[in-house]
Amino acid sequence: MEMKDYSNGIKPNWCPGCGDFSVLRAIQLAAASLEIPQERMVVVSGIGCSGRLSGYMNTYGFHSVHGRSLPLAQGIKLANRELTVLAAGGDGDGFAIGAGHTLHAIRRNVDLTYVVMNNQVYGLTKGHVSPVSLPGLKTKTTPAGSVDQPIQPGLLAVGAGVTYYAQGFSAQQEELVSLIAEAIKHKGFSLVQVFSPCITYNKTNTYSWFRENLTNVSEVPAHQTDNVDSALRILRETDGLITGLIYHQPDQPTFEDRHGLNQHDPLTSKMTESTEEQFSRWTKRFFI
Amino acid sequence: MSWRRTILIGGVQGEGVASTGINLMRALAGLGYHVYGERKFSSRIKGGNTHMIITIGDDHVTCVESVIDIILAFDEESISFNQIKLRDNGIILMDETLTPEASLTQNINTVALPLTLMAKKHGSLLMKNTSAIGYLGKLLGIQRQVLESSIAKTYLSKGDEVIQQNLQVLLAAYDDPCPELEKIDPLPDAPHRQESMMILMGNDAIALGALMAGCRFMAAYPITPASDVMETMSRVFPDEGGLMVQTEDEVAAITMCIGAGYAGVRSMTATSGPGLTLMMEGLGLAGMTETPIVVVDAQRGGPSTGLPTRTEQSDFSALYHAGHGEFPLILLTPSTIEECYELTKEAFNLADIFQCPVVVMTDLNLSLSPQTIPAFDYVPAAINRGVLMSLEDELSAAKITEPFARYALTENGLSPRSFPGMPGGIHQVTGLEHNKWGRPSDQPANRQKMMDKRLRKLEPLKDQSAVHLEQRDGKMLCLTCGSSWGVLQQAVKDTYLSVDIGRISRIRPLPKRQLQQLLANYEKIIVMEQNQQGQLALILRQELNHQNNIVSMTRYDGESFQVQEVRHLLEGWCSEWK
Repeated sequence: MEMKDYSNGIKPNWCPGCGDFSVLRAIQLAAASLEIPQERMVVVSGIGCSGRLSGYMNTYGFHSVHGRSLPLAQGIKLANRELTVLAAGGDGDGFAIGAGHTLHAIRRNVDLTYVVMNNQVYGLTKGHVSPVSLPGLKTKTTPAGSVDQPIQPGLLAVGAGVTYYAQGFSAQQEELVSLIAEAIKHKGFSLVQVFSPCITYNKTNTYSWFRENLTNVSEVPAHQTDNVDSALRILRETDGLITGLIYHQPDQPTFEDRHGLNQHDPLTSKMTESTEEQFSRWTKRFFI
Repeated sequence: MSWRRTILIGGVQGEGVASTGINLMRALAGLGYHVYGERKFSSRIKGGNTHMIITIGDDHVTCVESVIDIILAFDEESISFNQIKLRDNGIILMDETLTPEASLTQNINTVALPLTLMAKKHGSLLMKNTSAIGYLGKLLGIQRQVLESSIAKTYLSKGDEVIQQNLQVLLAAYDDPCPELEKIDPLPDAPHRQESMMILMGNDAIALGALMAGCRFMAAYPITPASDVMETMSRVFPDEGGLMVQTEDEVAAITMCIGAGYAGVRSMTATSGPGLTLMMEGLGLAGMTETPIVVVDAQRGGPSTGLPTRTEQSDFSALYHAGHGEFPLILLTPSTIEECYELTKEAFNLADIFQCPVVVMTDLNLSLSPQTIPAFDYVPAAINRGVLMSLEDELSAAKITEPFARYALTENGLSPRSFPGMPGGIHQVTGLEHNKWGRPSDQPANRQKMMDKRLRKLEPLKDQSAVHLEQRDGKMLCLTCGSSWGVLQQAVKDTYLSVDIGRISRIRPLPKRQLQQLLANYEKIIVMEQNQQGQLALILRQELNHQNNIVSMTRYDGESFQVQEVRHLLEGWCSEWK
């Protein structure tokens, strides 16, 4: 399988140079490397520039509403656990309007992957502050510069008990492909946060800014990916500006395990008429 | 003439008033009586007054009566709040420890009973409900064995010791000689009955209907008065390979259902007013993406948190005009336990056939009032999944040159669906306006075609009847739905009122053709509903373009319509119209 097998050939409507092109390619390359049959993959997205991603995949795709990619993706995966489900969205989706869903998806640990394209600004609404914008960022709603404290996605996710957390950078494609492929292979909820620069509305967190400020986990001595303290430490020490696999707990039970779903056929296979035996079982308590 | 006898059991919330009521209902139903129980509770777990009104009859009881024959009081408030509803010569049975205010204006027989004492002496203080059942059961003429088996059944899960103690308390109370009670007339003989009966409430019937329809996924957030549905599914699904997810909020609940419905499993959620408000976003998404889902809206007093534990029917307007923009939506309105069951089954077929959200609207009293009905027979649900991608499409997947046209324009607006996993069915879905492949499109010509396609899907339903009449040679028609229907039935029963009565089981799309016919047949249509503005009447006037012949009968104080009240109102309409 090749990258092109996962592309439907539609030209993305992103600005030339947008970090999201690289994320789209990385998802396609990761899917190709894992040879996922296209009809068995569903890409779910939210709203914003990033939300268009599902529409460029030659897989099943569901472009949902703002902030709701995770509830939708969980519904799909729980209905048919034989599918590979990947949700994708932006920082507004994941850390503002859908922040509650992000925490609960982490907590449930449904076996799916969530890729957040973080450009630290609202691009599609044409330049508004985001919950991860750095203090000082001037946008149309923060003309004097943002004064609010940004959410730190890594601390949030690791603190909430995520079982796979990685950070990538659009300009480091090779690493990003491998982080997404490993995330898909991980049994449980995996979150990949990608620094995906907006070249139009964020003149602070640019490609060159990230090149200067990002470090890589390989440069951190003695980081243990299965150790919460180690993960929190490197996130704190780098102010979150680090790429690579931050935290991984490979053997945690998934939601599907805990609810016994893996012992049954997928729910989608249950569309048969209910039997008289079932009817008697269900109605027994009501008979006088 | 049929007879009715009504008992109110009241006490402090959390002390077993409801279980006393249910126990009594089971015992009476076991003897062949028909019963209907209405619960009155407040939004707290312990403390505060709560009561249950049980009406007993010799034929199908469709609501509780307005006038009470016996009050069984565990606390003083049950007496002070409710004695106004007691009939002349009515009876108050109360715990001997109570000292009610002496404001008894009517002719009332008060009997103080050692409910607490008996419980303490033969079991424990907690068992005063059981001693009450002993006295009440004897007074009503229920055999001891019937009460024993009802008690044993109730405490089955609590172990032998608890059962034995409760039985001792029951016998002590039952055998306690009490001359005052012996003066009271027992119930008339139970009707002779061949058919087997069930006792259940609307929420039970809805859960049962969903199970029979093949629903195997539910996502919901707890809310009164809808939670019973998710509780039932949590209990039943694990054995059936289904799944109930308690989500972080109602937005997640409906969105998860959409995901599961899109993936191919029949899915549902259940909520009430505040949750419904949050679900508007999801209704629009399901409508736009043509994804089948079933939503139960058990209505309660609104707006905002409103009256969480009181009945109302005030979501008609919100749902009739649901969401921003325009999309297909079906609203079903059951009026009986049987309809809760049947219409929920039908809701899943309609959702699949028309590829749109379907809301089953009940109200608190219909959802939560247990009543006896003839037992449901096993009838395999005819599952209709609507138009799906054909086998040829699937087989020709290999040589496909263009993607599957999930939103192909068709004459009836219905386009075949494919599910993720089907080769050859790959397509995009979006909440944006889209073309036949599900790709975003803002072209005016496409927009118009797609809007028309989605909104013409439900046209055939407009010609299908949804008003069920009980004709009595009336010049007027009183039309209602939900728990009000049972009150209306009882209000006209055994009277000479020249009013036909009807219940409507689908309000969107409205059965327009049938309603036009009814407007031609009747001098007036009185719409009976539980909200302030007469929402259903407003919708009917607007849609049928009739101003004068559609009038409203409303109640919105959190109480259900009362039989006497409705009878008087109808008498008023009749005399005015002579």
